[in-house]
Amino acid sequence: MSADLRDRLFAALGFLVRWTVYASLLLPAAIVVAASLTPGDILRFPPPGISLRWYRAVWESDLFMNSLGLSFRLAALATLVSLVLGFAAAYAVDRYRFRGLGLVRSFLLSPLLVPTVVLGLGLMQFLVWIGLGQTFLGLLAGHLVITLPYVVRTLSASMVLFDRNLEQAAMSLRAPPLTVLRTITLPLLFPGIISAMVFAFVTSFGNVTLSVFLNYDGEVTLPVQVLSYVEQNYDPLVAAVSSVVILVTVLAIFIADRISGAKSVI
Amino acid sequence: MSAVPIDVESRPGARLLLLLPALALLLLFLVVPMFSVFRTSFFPGTSSMGATGFTLSQYARFFSSTLYNSVLLETVAYGIIVSVGCIVLGFPVGYSLARMPPAKRRLRMILIIVPLTLSLVVVVFGWMVLLGRQGLLNNLLLALGLIEAPRQLLFNRAAVLVVLIQQFLPFMILSIMNVVLQIDPVLEHASTSLRATRLTTFRKVVVPLAAPGIVSGFTLVFVMTVSAFVTPRLIGGARTQMLGGLIFDEVLTTMNWPFGAAMSFILLAVGLGVLALVNMLVVRRITRGLHVR
Repeated sequence: MSADLRDRLFAALGFLVRWTVYASLLLPAAIVVAASLTPGDILRFPPPGISLRWYRAVWESDLFMNSLGLSFRLAALATLVSLVLGFAAAYAVDRYRFRGLGLVRSFLLSPLLVPTVVLGLGLMQFLVWIGLGQTFLGLLAGHLVITLPYVVRTLSASMVLFDRNLEQAAMSLRAPPLTVLRTITLPLLFPGIISAMVFAFVTSFGNVTLSVFLNYDGEVTLPVQVLSYVEQNYDPLVAAVSSVVILVTVLAIFIADRISGAKSVI
Repeated sequence: MSAVPIDVESRPGARLLLLLPALALLLLFLVVPMFSVFRTSFFPGTSSMGATGFTLSQYARFFSSTLYNSVLLETVAYGIIVSVGCIVLGFPVGYSLARMPPAKRRLRMILIIVPLTLSLVVVVFGWMVLLGRQGLLNNLLLALGLIEAPRQLLFNRAAVLVVLIQQFLPFMILSIMNVVLQIDPVLEHASTSLRATRLTTFRKVVVPLAAPGIVSGFTLVFVMTVSAFVTPRLIGGARTQMLGGLIFDEVLTTMNWPFGAAMSFILLAVGLGVLALVNMLVVRRITRGLHVR
């Protein structure tokens, strides 16, 4: 019977660990949102009351609104460009068998395993050399490197599940290749495409470790602005800004979940 | 009109055309910059602008300093503790998710994916609020009468470890979940029906089969931990130094790029070395486990 007891203890321990993990994953974001609703001047938890005054302060802060605008523009552009490049690459990797295929696939995913401090220094130095230092284009190039692997991975996963007989059927009905792509391939891959876009968007929107090396003309992305603000100040304003970031992220993930199921995001 | 069905697979040029943009992007903005960092690390002096020559002096400077050596050691220790912590906490979650019906899994997946995609700086800020003098934890401890006055819970090693583990847990959970999804539950039933206890089944069946997921999760978490600089900076303060933070300061504050570059490559080399060692040890142990019984 001691084995039975041990089994039960083991199960109870698992249960405890699981719910501690879920709670701790949720905690930081929940705390930030709750703290941002304070009517007072001091950042504290639990807040003494509820007010939206700090959101108003964010709206009126040029510092944060400019950064927010830059982050949105950057993330949107990085998403579109990496989607186009990543779709083409994932399609080629999925459809063609050729020598070096495995190598190409690993290469496309390799940015995930390069420490961003190293990539950051390299890009910063390289961009200065080719005259793109402190430019939007340089910042975009850096973000493309980190969003591309997510797009390739997500799209590859959904292309594997794709039933190619449907394309064959369309072709046997004499549909030209572009029509097949437009009316069969793309619609069927739509959920995967949405997931890839969401993941690319939130990756770029939230990135701080690479962006911090690639400031442009004194303008910085929102996460970098939050980082440099937090190093100097500690007030509810930054909690409100962070809540905006949380809101954007949660919305994006929910959209992906509605359209294609959360699992496909990864 | 007279469209003959074209078999896409018979066009060799198309493949190159499709792959070229992505490969060119990575070549130009990943490979070339990494090579330039490598080259820079061999420049003498403190600036890479107009520098020439080839010397190992940057590396020599690093390894002859006790401070840098101890930071390097500490960084690797953080990497190992955080990765092991993520495995211990992440395994039960990843495993249970994989064994859950998809409908039940859905909400929990969101719970894991949101922290994963949320900006790092926001997560770290959340922990600052949580652990601050006016934070939840201090207030909770005060209310329970465990402490008399608010304590400084930030700026120590334990806090850095907790925050790093929380940040990287989702990567480990997903990595383990994905591999457990491919393990047939029949194998566990078989083990149980042979009167193995849960613990034995776990040790002899589940863990060896899940090893690839554990190793890939470990790799990812280890690399991210050793190169972390935002968390040690904000949560650890001046007293906890990690190599990523030193590189960051060297590059952006001191602007000594050759030395920063040398530290980057030491980070890469040591990181890869530890990973190779761990992979070797784990793979050997697992295969032995499989052969014995």
